[in-house]
Amino acid sequence: MSSETVLELRGLEKSFGAARIIRGVDLSVRRGERHAVIGPNGAGKSTLFNLVSGLFAPNAGSILLDGREIAGRSAHRINRMGLSRSFQITNIYHRMTVFENLRIGTMARHGIRFSLLRPVSSLTRINSETDALLERIRLTGRRDVPAGELTYSEQRALEIGMTLATGPEVILLDEPTAGMSKDETAYVIDLIREVTVDKTLLVVEHDMSVVFGLCDRISVLVYGDLLATGTPDEIRNNAAVQEAYLGEEAASS
Amino acid sequence: MTLVWRFLPLTLVMVVLIGLPPLLDVGLQNVMVNVLIAALFATAFNLLIGQGGMLSFGHAAFYGVGAFAVMHLLVAIERGGLDFPTPLLPLAGAVAGMVVGLFTGYFATIRSGVYFALVTLALAEMLHALAPHWEGLFGGEAGISSMRMPWGGINFGQVIEVYYLTLAWVVIAFGLLYAYTRTPMGRLTLALRDNEERLRFMGYNVHATKVVVFTLSATFAGLAGGLLAFSNEQANYQLFEVHISAQVLLHTFVGGSTVFFGPAIGAVIFTIFAHVIGDITRSWMLYQGVIFILVVLFVPHGIGGVLTEHLRLRTHIPWRRIGRPYAIAATAALLITAASVMIIEFLEALFSPRYFAARRQVDMGFPPFERFGYVWEPFSVLTWLLPLVLGIVGLFLLLRVRHQVAELWSEARESAAAQGRPAP
Repeated sequence: MSSETVLELRGLEKSFGAARIIRGVDLSVRRGERHAVIGPNGAGKSTLFNLVSGLFAPNAGSILLDGREIAGRSAHRINRMGLSRSFQITNIYHRMTVFENLRIGTMARHGIRFSLLRPVSSLTRINSETDALLERIRLTGRRDVPAGELTYSEQRALEIGMTLATGPEVILLDEPTAGMSKDETAYVIDLIREVTVDKTLLVVEHDMSVVFGLCDRISVLVYGDLLATGTPDEIRNNAAVQEAYLGEEAASS
Repeated sequence: MTLVWRFLPLTLVMVVLIGLPPLLDVGLQNVMVNVLIAALFATAFNLLIGQGGMLSFGHAAFYGVGAFAVMHLLVAIERGGLDFPTPLLPLAGAVAGMVVGLFTGYFATIRSGVYFALVTLALAEMLHALAPHWEGLFGGEAGISSMRMPWGGINFGQVIEVYYLTLAWVVIAFGLLYAYTRTPMGRLTLALRDNEERLRFMGYNVHATKVVVFTLSATFAGLAGGLLAFSNEQANYQLFEVHISAQVLLHTFVGGSTVFFGPAIGAVIFTIFAHVIGDITRSWMLYQGVIFILVVLFVPHGIGGVLTEHLRLRTHIPWRRIGRPYAIAATAALLITAASVMIIEFLEALFSPRYFAARRQVDMGFPPFERFGYVWEPFSVLTWLLPLVLGIVGLFLLLRVRHQVAELWSEARESAAAQGRPAP
């Protein structure tokens, strides 16, 4: 793993009215690492994701993706620059088939957007790449089912697939295992491990066993401040983190 | 087998559309022209609502603009001696629809949902208010009229000639609109309808996507308006009426916005319905409204949705067992319709100015009235009992078979789902 920084946040701040949600966060994500953001409810993890992915513009600070400023850029531009995110609450095209959900992403990856001159069925490369992705997220058997009819864990897998479909270098997953049973969690974590090889992953996750098992480095966010960043061991043994957040839970895991 | 299923209905429709009109009188040929135009207008509208998920309340704007564009071109040809091929005239409507659609669509699509709908409504209303006062562009209150000039040996004086030209344009437009659904842009349009936020996070410029969809829809609406002007040889500000925008919405939803040919089906049925029923009763707008409400409440996917669902599950539906309940349901529907029509028509007769005049002749008494070729006593029990009994019997039958039909359908769905499921 190289230690080159691919995503860098500097002095990032975001307020909603009087509420200061993000209070000057500095964070470096290295190329190829799996990096978790943890913290108690209301710590600002989702807001952080929303700033990085372009849903909101920050009030101050900068976000550099491969050295290029993306703070305040629109979401679709950020995506085209190679950063793609998933959503905590499943966010799919319900009435379209599983295959078509993914193909929208594959089309974007190849810059096919407002194309009107050929049928989409003739784009063999797009279709075969979509099928390959379908295979990777293990939904081939559900290819032509409307996405709204999938089971919850299948929809979560599709959610990850759609995030990958646009071909990002940096992947943001927002609580990918939220609401899942133990078996389903293990399944999805396996999937994430598999599909993020050679990519950079930034993940918000509540399940500590997942975080410590999956990630190379962890950042702890508490009330909009970054408390610490380090390897799982460093975080586990960090007194401030233990006090503020992890308590006995992490020490025993 | 699938190919036959797909192309047989279309071929039959084409045979009728090409072969039938010469056998009809001029009045009915005119109705056919209007049917084609309404079908195109509804399908263009559905590109926006059914595929793109944007509900416009002002599509009359593009329809009307298309019509006026063609009229201006007609005037230029007739008076100015401009040499323009007559068959290509309706294209002016499409171009005008496109230009106005691009401009207004850019602003309207900045907002979504209700706000979008309100902007489109305001746009059409603005044109409706403006047109009667703008002599130069819209011909004031009288509008613009002109005449089609002969071209290439074709006179374009007869309705049948107009019909076939309209048919040609409508077939081309349907071909293009259908092909659109197969392109990457067409698939993108569906994604826009389902989830515009996700689209944004998958690298698509949502606003630009909406503008493209809006403009295309306006283009084909403009073509429909252009064809109307070409057929009528006149256009006036009433084309911008909210009634026109509501009509196309009604066609689309009754026909079924989730199916490509649904809106066309709705448009065909309602246009013919308007022609036939409109001559018989004054209450046909009421009937239209009642049908709309019933469809929205009980058949949200419209006629087209029902048809495609039957086609989709054709190998799973127990046709033999479902035949009897269907027949009973149809009978029930007929009885309820008869009862409703009788009551509505009786009331219409009793509250009509004509009946009031008749009452004055008998010292404000309640004389018998005539409907359906019979004479009815307003205070006779029989007059009201007849529709009441018909309605109750119909309702009873309907409620009785409702569960049977629902059960057979859930069986069919279950069997289809079992087939689609991967082996455990």
